[in-house]
Amino acid sequence: MLFEPFTDVVPSFFGWLNQGPLTLTIFLHTVIILPMFWIYFQEKKKLQGK
Amino acid sequence: MAKENLSVWTSIPFWRRSAAWVTGFAVILLIWLTFDTMGQISMGTDEDLKNGVDKRVPAATVINYNIDYQMSKKRGHEVPVIGKKEPFFGKEWSGEEAAALLHLGKLTSQAKNCMNCHTLLGNGAYYAPDLTKAWIDPMWKDGGPMQGMTGKSTKEEAMAEFLMNPSQYPTHARMMPNLGITADEAKGLVAFLKHMSSIDTNGFPRNFSKTVEQFKAGGTNAH
Amino acid sequence: MLTSIKTNEFAGSESKKLAMMYFRVAIILFGAQLLMGLIAAIQFLVPGFLFELFDFSVARMVHINALVVWMLYAMIGSVYYMLPDETGIETVGIGIGKLAFWVFTAAITVVVLVYIFVQVGAGTEATIWFINEGREYIEAPRWADIGIVVVVLIFYWNVFATFMKGTQTGIMTVMVANLMALAGLYLTGMFFTDNISMDQFWWWWVIHLWVEATWEVFVGTLAAYALIKIIGAKREIVEMWLWIEVLMLFGSGVLGLGHHYFWIGTPEYWWEIGALFSALEPVPLVAMFVHVLYDWGKEQGETHAKDSTAHAINNGPAMAWIVTNAFGNFLGAGIWGFFHTLPQVNIYTHGTQFTAAHGHLAFFGAYATILIGMMYMGIQGAYGVERLKATFKSKMAIFMIVFGVLGMGVALTISGYEQVLVERAELGGGWNAFFTAQELPWYIQGMVWRAIMGVVTFVGFVYLVWDLLTIGKLSKAAEA
Repeated sequence: MLFEPFTDVVPSFFGWLNQGPLTLTIFLHTVIILPMFWIYFQEKKKLQGK
Repeated sequence: MAKENLSVWTSIPFWRRSAAWVTGFAVILLIWLTFDTMGQISMGTDEDLKNGVDKRVPAATVINYNIDYQMSKKRGHEVPVIGKKEPFFGKEWSGEEAAALLHLGKLTSQAKNCMNCHTLLGNGAYYAPDLTKAWIDPMWKDGGPMQGMTGKSTKEEAMAEFLMNPSQYPTHARMMPNLGITADEAKGLVAFLKHMSSIDTNGFPRNFSKTVEQFKAGGTNAH
Repeated sequence: MLTSIKTNEFAGSESKKLAMMYFRVAIILFGAQLLMGLIAAIQFLVPGFLFELFDFSVARMVHINALVVWMLYAMIGSVYYMLPDETGIETVGIGIGKLAFWVFTAAITVVVLVYIFVQVGAGTEATIWFINEGREYIEAPRWADIGIVVVVLIFYWNVFATFMKGTQTGIMTVMVANLMALAGLYLTGMFFTDNISMDQFWWWWVIHLWVEATWEVFVGTLAAYALIKIIGAKREIVEMWLWIEVLMLFGSGVLGLGHHYFWIGTPEYWWEIGALFSALEPVPLVAMFVHVLYDWGKEQGETHAKDSTAHAINNGPAMAWIVTNAFGNFLGAGIWGFFHTLPQVNIYTHGTQFTAAHGHLAFFGAYATILIGMMYMGIQGAYGVERLKATFKSKMAIFMIVFGVLGMGVALTISGYEQVLVERAELGGGWNAFFTAQELPWYIQGMVWRAIMGVVTFVGFVYLVWDLLTIGKLSKAAEA
């Protein structure tokens, strides 16, 4: 089954993201880390522009 | 400056901006999660109880119902099961009465500093038993040792009697001190404990008190 | 330390004098914490000790409250100490800062006396307002809460106004932002609710977001300042590390709060959030350890290259405590925390002596160590000593305290392990399960060793106080 049946007491957005081993936490980690790439390349451009 | 000498990894602005982003976004997520959780752990209503709606934290009137703690196949751990109505201190408590009693009990639990010996929901000190599911502890069941010792015929009366004169009913060299708990406060505390046992703690404690009797008898599961 | 006000070597820096006043109260409260801990440790072994006179709940409450308050005192003292150095100016509004110190100290004295002599009250709002709030670590009654908020606002105004007026370094930028969060979080622990789940949800906002987020960043800032002062580390390198630490500490620590939301009635999704975010909490602690040792080696190497007999360190005892901090933070907070942070493990370890083991090692390793280091820096400044060398007493103090706390941590871990396996795993918790586990020989042996190691720690503390009182004068005399 692609999506696990919801097991917690009350359905919620975060409960829905919690689809089995680590889905929710990996999703949150990813959205936190991804924008750092953008910050990285922006800073790189600034440094090279000097 | 030559291109290869420029490293973003040693640039303070990069780390400062990243720190600001990560901290800010983590805080936003935490606030969002907090709102979601607040909705889920706010106390239910008497209507929810009557209609059998599961709430993580039921209304104070849950003290009018039998509470059990059973394995749920769906959840994969034990959950509180709210059963049939049963009298609490010999009567059924109205919404206001139950709320007032729980209020008194929660206040007393803080005023008497319960948490600096016991754990509540697993948090506190480790000098005395965890009280999360104290209401359904086998020690207090009908025909159990505590009802016999206190000479009371119901769980709630035995608990209240014990709380008022704990050092008269020692079960261990380590005793609970007399904290000057009045009869009303004791009733409140028992209501507080019963209410706490109805909270859905995601299966904590696990296998609650299942094997104590086997262990005491020196037995194992092997026959 | 006692004579530091009179000797007045700070070249008129009132801020540093105030810092020493805070340090002095901190060390007294540290002593009170250890004494209360010894009483509680004895009560585990001899249950009749002071029964219905000074019960475990009272000893334990004063034990943990003295801990929190002495650390806050030493933290506030450290900030007053570093402010003039970092901003290049005298602290703004230091007069009202001093007034706040006396108000705070008077309030703390009243609170402690009420804890000790009144102990508990009736189940009424009045008890919550005037005797104790009955919530672990933040038991202070409501009137004192409000007093603490007022004092902290004054303190924060001192820091903020000085920051705005003087030089704005990276270290102070982090400090000012972090202190705001630290102070603001206290407010989330100041209300009453009948709902125990709601109660504990917000209670953890204070406790966790203090000790696993804002206090850790605070330690990072102190270490950055201290490395510049003690070994002359380069500010650019130290500040870059500080931002990395902020990123990782807050990145893991803020949502790491979830590891307290596994079993208190909160939804199951906290299992995952709490597990992975908090599992990453040790990473910045490793980074901090590497950073301190790297800078030390680098500066020592550079000094050595210039003069083969010279030392980079100008304050031996302070540096020793800061290196202990770097390692102790990683060991006590990082390793011991990770032991039981996953829900699969925590369902059995939650609420056992395992937590107590982690608590002892983490509070000591992460906070006590660096704050003692800051006290030695204060002594050095107070007496105007150029190079403060460790005495025999300094060495005895650090050795016995570290050995004692480590011993307590290991002993509690062993007792906790017994408790986890027997009370929780085998017997499933509950009244009988609890007392069955408490009577296991291996559990009791652990508690005996904990008490012995507590005494060792206390002897180390006596050496520490003795050293703090004498080292400044001795070093000054030796240098003259």
